[in-house]
Amino acid sequence: MRILVVDDEIDLVEALARGLRREGYAVDTATDGDEALEKASFTPYDLVCLDLTMPGIDGLEVCKRLRANPVEGVVPRILMLTARDTVGDRISGLDAGADDYLVKPFSFDELGARIRSLLRRDAGRSGAVLEVGGLHLDTARHHAVCDGATLDLTPKEFALLRYFMSRPGEVVSQEELLDHVWDEHADPFTQTVRVTVGTLRRKLGTVGGDDAIETVIGRGYRLGARGGAG
Amino acid sequence: MSTGPAGVRPSRLRHIRLPAAGIRFRLAVLHSILLFGVAALAVGAIYQNVSRVLEDEPMSRHSAFTELVDTPILGSSSTTLDNAGGGLQVFEEAVNRRALRQLRIYSVVALAVLFFASLAIGWYVAGLVVHPIGRITAVARRIQGTDLSRRISLGGPPDEFRELADTFDDMLDRLDAAFEMQRHFIQEASHELRNPLAVLRTNLDVVMHDPRSEPEDFRAAGEVALRATSRMSSLVDDLLLYAHHERPDVHRNPIDLASVVAETVADFAAAAESTGVELRAEVAERLPVIGDPVALRRGLANLLSNSIRVSDPESSVLVTAGHDDEKVWISVRDEGPGIDPDDIDHVFQRFWRGDLPSAREHGRSGLGLAIVRQIAEGHGGQATVRSTVGVGSTFTIWLPRYVDR
Repeated sequence: MRILVVDDEIDLVEALARGLRREGYAVDTATDGDEALEKASFTPYDLVCLDLTMPGIDGLEVCKRLRANPVEGVVPRILMLTARDTVGDRISGLDAGADDYLVKPFSFDELGARIRSLLRRDAGRSGAVLEVGGLHLDTARHHAVCDGATLDLTPKEFALLRYFMSRPGEVVSQEELLDHVWDEHADPFTQTVRVTVGTLRRKLGTVGGDDAIETVIGRGYRLGARGGAG
Repeated sequence: MSTGPAGVRPSRLRHIRLPAAGIRFRLAVLHSILLFGVAALAVGAIYQNVSRVLEDEPMSRHSAFTELVDTPILGSSSTTLDNAGGGLQVFEEAVNRRALRQLRIYSVVALAVLFFASLAIGWYVAGLVVHPIGRITAVARRIQGTDLSRRISLGGPPDEFRELADTFDDMLDRLDAAFEMQRHFIQEASHELRNPLAVLRTNLDVVMHDPRSEPEDFRAAGEVALRATSRMSSLVDDLLLYAHHERPDVHRNPIDLASVVAETVADFAAAAESTGVELRAEVAERLPVIGDPVALRRGLANLLSNSIRVSDPESSVLVTAGHDDEKVWISVRDEGPGIDPDDIDHVFQRFWRGDLPSAREHGRSGLGLAIVRQIAEGHGGQATVRSTVGVGSTFTIWLPRYVDR
């Protein structure tokens, strides 16, 4: 899941990016509206955390433009972050197309919960737990279980598994994984996707799920509908 | 129907109605008593006069009556008339007594009717008079706390009550505007405080909750926290200053602005030198104004720190001060980047920072120039700015000149 964090407070953006990366998201940052729109114009973000009051193009305008120009047909979920909390501010934010609204200062846990909830809406699920076959993923607690055995995953492997599990049975290309699991700092010419898929497979293999992720030659990867070996 | 509200209502009714009914009742009774008194005096006087006239000058002794009796038609019995003289007088007195009794009865009845009629009319008229007061009271009572949206809007002819109601409405307008301004200010201020708070909280949250945080991460979060708190404290300082100067200070004395300028410029010499800015001052001899020297110093200091901040090293900041017949002025001219014509109307606004994210990072509250304007206006003067992009800006404080007569 790839997230863009936009705020004119650099110290805030950096802390948010750090925290969200730790949760396994791929995070890009922008410190004003122009930069945000530019980045969103070529990356199909799953979610944008958007500050309402920014110099230049403000959050409302960014929100409207993001809605008007979806990249690859995907309109990102928009979580508005703002220090303004009057009813009028909330209404104008939601009217501009924000999916949710969080007033500063907020607890990072609450932000995390809201992001998970917004991303679940796309996957059509209602809980924080993903289940495919014998695979069991608790996105809130960062806990992955395969056939009853706990998996010890790095944030990136966790994010990769989560992405596969949100599209069970579908073929997922390397480009799509780069767009949604890796952030702007990933070098598309390295073997980073292949390497991470490899380590994830190996870890799944240790608990009997070595055939969970299959390679579809020339197209990408697919998480077997049965998931784990179970 | 619960017993609670029912139990409360009678006492509230008593509170609301009594003062109005009291004055209405008093007015009606006063009106009635006065009218009754005047009427009773008039009727008494008439009765008194009539009875005296009838007793002193009975009609039988009136010349017209004698003439009537001596006419030839009655002439045949002039002697009988003399004989009848005593009887006529008795008869006449009886007639008079009866007439007077009738007059007395009619007077008393008329006075009684008048008393009750005047009481009713007085009650009605007093009601008309008291009604607008009741309305004003009701509106005043309904205005709760800071909800000042209600108005009396009495209407009707431009009389004393209309004037009272309009004055009241005007006062509500002013209070409403003042409350609205304060609400707005508090909103803005809390918004300004929330940003650094969010920075602080998120940084601490992220570092504290990550079991993999290294000592460098804590150090970095600590540095961010320091920046955020120093920003917050300078914001709070300026908020307090702003709130302080919002109330015009009444304790002011004649002072020489020239010495205030000289001292403030001297305070900034070190700051200017450390940034390589040349700070010069051209101040006239005596600049008498009535004012608060501490506030004026703060105003000039804000202008100076603003100008020095925007100035490049090697450029200069010039402070001039002088007067004409009516005004004293202090001017601060810099050779900085200047202000965009679109922005020039906003520079004295609260929390306006030229839309620069870097401004907040550098701990500027966005209140400095707003405080300058507030101080100038609090002294009966004004603050102005002229600026050309690429050339520089000139900020001026104008104050009324004090002339000792």
